Amino acid sequence: MMRPGLMVKLSLLLALIGVLASGSTGYYAYRANRTMLAGEAGRNLLTATELLGQRFSVSIDDMAADVLVLATMPSSALIAQSANDLKTKEDRARLAQVFSSFMLHHPGYLQARLIARDRFGLERIRFDRDGHGIVEVREGNLQEKGQFAYVFDTLALAPGRVYIGPITINREHGAHYAEGRPILRLAAPIATPAGVVVGVVVLDVDLAVLLKLLRTDLPADYEVYLANEWGDFLVHPDSSQSFGFDKGRRVFMQDSFAATKPLFERTANSVLINGLANPEQAHDEVLAFVRRPFGASAGNRFIVLGLGKPLSDVLSGANLLGDQIVRMILFSSLAALLLAILFARALTRPLQILTHAATHFFADNATEALPLKRTDEIGMLARCFDHMRREIKSQVDALHDKQHQLAHLANHDVLTGLPNRMLFMQKLDTAVHDATANGERLAVLFVDLDRFKQINDQFGHSFGDTVLVAVAGRLQQVLSKGHTVARLGGDEFVVLVEGAYSSDSAADLAADIVRALDSDLPVSGRKVVVGASVGISEFPQDGISARDLLLNADTAMYVAKSKGRGFWQRYGDLSGEQHVKTAYVNTLTNET
Amino acid sequence: MSLGSSPPNRRRILLSWGCEIAKRIFRRVSFSSRIPVAALTFFTLTLCGLPTFAQENVLRVLAWPGYADNDVVKKFESRFNARVQVTFVDSDEALSDKMHTGGKPPFDVLAANTAEIHRYTLENLLSPLNLGELPNTQRQLPRFRAVSSIDGLTANGKIYAIPFTYSSMGLIYDRKQIPIAPRSMKELWNPRYQGKVLDFNSAQHNFSFAALALGYPHPFQLTDGQMREIARKLVDLRRNLLTYYTVPEEATAYFIQHKAALMFGNYGTQQLALLRKAGADVGYVIPEEGALAWLDCWAMTQSATNRPLALAWINYMLEPDVSALLTQRQGLANTLILPPEHSSDSAHLIWIQPVENIEERESLWSRIVSGDRPERFR
Repeated sequence: MMRPGLMVKLSLLLALIGVLASGSTGYYAYRANRTMLAGEAGRNLLTATELLGQRFSVSIDDMAADVLVLATMPSSALIAQSANDLKTKEDRARLAQVFSSFMLHHPGYLQARLIARDRFGLERIRFDRDGHGIVEVREGNLQEKGQFAYVFDTLALAPGRVYIGPITINREHGAHYAEGRPILRLAAPIATPAGVVVGVVVLDVDLAVLLKLLRTDLPADYEVYLANEWGDFLVHPDSSQSFGFDKGRRVFMQDSFAATKPLFERTANSVLINGLANPEQAHDEVLAFVRRPFGASAGNRFIVLGLGKPLSDVLSGANLLGDQIVRMILFSSLAALLLAILFARALTRPLQILTHAATHFFADNATEALPLKRTDEIGMLARCFDHMRREIKSQVDALHDKQHQLAHLANHDVLTGLPNRMLFMQKLDTAVHDATANGERLAVLFVDLDRFKQINDQFGHSFGDTVLVAVAGRLQQVLSKGHTVARLGGDEFVVLVEGAYSSDSAADLAADIVRALDSDLPVSGRKVVVGASVGISEFPQDGISARDLLLNADTAMYVAKSKGRGFWQRYGDLSGEQHVKTAYVNTLTNET
Repeated sequence: MSLGSSPPNRRRILLSWGCEIAKRIFRRVSFSSRIPVAALTFFTLTLCGLPTFAQENVLRVLAWPGYADNDVVKKFESRFNARVQVTFVDSDEALSDKMHTGGKPPFDVLAANTAEIHRYTLENLLSPLNLGELPNTQRQLPRFRAVSSIDGLTANGKIYAIPFTYSSMGLIYDRKQIPIAPRSMKELWNPRYQGKVLDFNSAQHNFSFAALALGYPHPFQLTDGQMREIARKLVDLRRNLLTYYTVPEEATAYFIQHKAALMFGNYGTQQLALLRKAGADVGYVIPEEGALAWLDCWAMTQSATNRPLALAWINYMLEPDVSALLTQRQGLANTLILPPEHSSDSAHLIWIQPVENIEERESLWSRIVSGDRPERFR
């Protein structure tokens, strides 16, 4: 990848945006769901609490009916009035049987008593529940109860009414199982046929059994609260908080749950505390409290019933959804990451192509992949870039052409187009070097035109130049491609013969040249015979450097010229004297 | 050694009556743990920025709600350029717990009843006081100046506590039904008031006042024979009762609704205001046999670091303005002025003392209250 930095950054940024978007959406969905569930649970709990309250009332009504049945038994009044037990022995026994069977069939009744108005509220019939069953308390063990409100308040009631006492702890000595337990007392006045109230029937109800019956179909993790009209807890999940007044330290519902205050001020009938919105009062709980009238005889009395449900149960659905949301967020984050990579790639790819095109500026296929046809900003950039590239390329091409021309001019004779002395010397150097390395042979032919001076004088320089061009053409015709012909200057030409055969062929080639230039040469409609003398020097016997070879070929040419026109001469055939002499003459000539 | 249910019950009326201010302080100022106290100290020290100065002039007060209201404390602080840390307790048990935390009590002064003072003196937790350093004791009624006449306040000729407030347990009567104030405790047994008498549900006090009614010389130290006699006497009383009460509100409700005529006033004068507020025309009387009474006193601990400041506090508590607040706000009697209900300073008050056998009294009492017949107490 050309630009991992930008691509990675862009991918990460886009992925991050994706993750944040899906994460926050998920989180708020989760929160909203929790709130909704808690609200729903609260409403359900309130309904359950109201139902519990109704059931509580119904249970009390049932028990009130029981106490009325006992109070209105015909023998009840008789027993209550009778001072002489012997007279009423049979009636008493039958009535006691009824009391005992009520106790037997109602496990919630801890005591069932018939109490007389006279003799300071002496108990006449009394059944107590103890750890094993039902015991009848008799004779000297019967107590005087006239000092208790459930007796004197009930005695004040009209026949047919029921006293419902406050829920309290039974502190009566000798009450068997009931002693020290939370109880609820129901009592009804016993009236003679004349309507005179002569005693009371009292039922002590075990609050624990009553509540157990009430909450039979409530889930086990529901917590039940009960408070009296002042707010003293009567039932609390933490039993140390209930009946505080009995232990000398009152514990109030409105202190534990401030939101319940309106219930006790009678400004509200029910209160809902949602642990999600109000964690200080209901820690991890949803709580519902309902105020219920309690005790038909005293209209101003009430109880407050409460139900608590763990928030964790309520929110288990939300947690399930939360799990799914987390999974969804993970999935969508992954998708966001993939999309981000794809998008980043789509965005950075044209940049990469442009970069590639810029680094491979002069490659022909560099622009093939450029997104020239795109209509967006990237397409425009690509087109601008392509245009710029073409411009630069055409200018660079022109520059190359010029350079090429200059190089040609530097190495060639302008008139004939043949290589000039400089190029020839380079080639000769190279050839000597190669021949030395390979043990080959080569030869240099020095060609000098015999009659060029006269032609030049006779027909002018312009014609002379034309003749030189024609000579060059003729020389190239004579020579095969393997040989190099160059113009040294004036009417001097030179030929490099390469190859193992050069020693033999050099002389033949020289003869061919002499012959070719001795024949008519058509120049500008005329026929001229130029004639040429040729000197031959051979490598390695006539010299091992380019300079020596050229010099010696020149020397041989002079010797040939001195023989007359149209001769050729091999340097190797010259005598030592001639070598020196011609070399000397050559030097003189060259210096002049 | 405890005086039974009376002090906590007394506190209940203090709390329920007591001004909201007391309640608020009660909550704001820590009273159950030392950590908030430490936090409070730290907070204040930080505020002052003068730790050494603050350290010297800090007074640690252990008191009952209503004894050291915010305004009273503020006034003391500004007058003595000191800082007062008040810790409230609401029962004798809580007081004892606080006094026994750590090696030395972490308080300079405390308020406690005579029996508790006696106990702490024996435990060597208190410092003797010099009346010369407490000039306001001169303002007290003669009964309270005679400290040595009050059991539990002196030891080895040294004074360990100064009376501060008290409440008697006299008779409350309905002026309409009883036009002439009853003179004797025996009126509770008067069959004329059958079903119109209210009694406080407490083992200790019932035995003690019945002993007074029977003319026994030591109502707190009864013999077995006396105990049985009193039990039967209390059964007789029960037969004359409407019912027993435990809290003053309950007593008021019974008194009004059932037109009671006579009541043993466990909460003394404090109950009067409540009854009068409810519309009852009631009188209060200390019977000839004498009335039981509790007496709370101020004492200085052995660990008091700034003794002059501690003495200044006790002296300050006896100032007329401060002591009067007790009567105004709590309905309690102070030691400077004679309460209007008392005919004279000579009213026969019997400061309650630890009883001979609390379990025995409780056990008998529970049977009496529950309705056992007299033949069962032979």
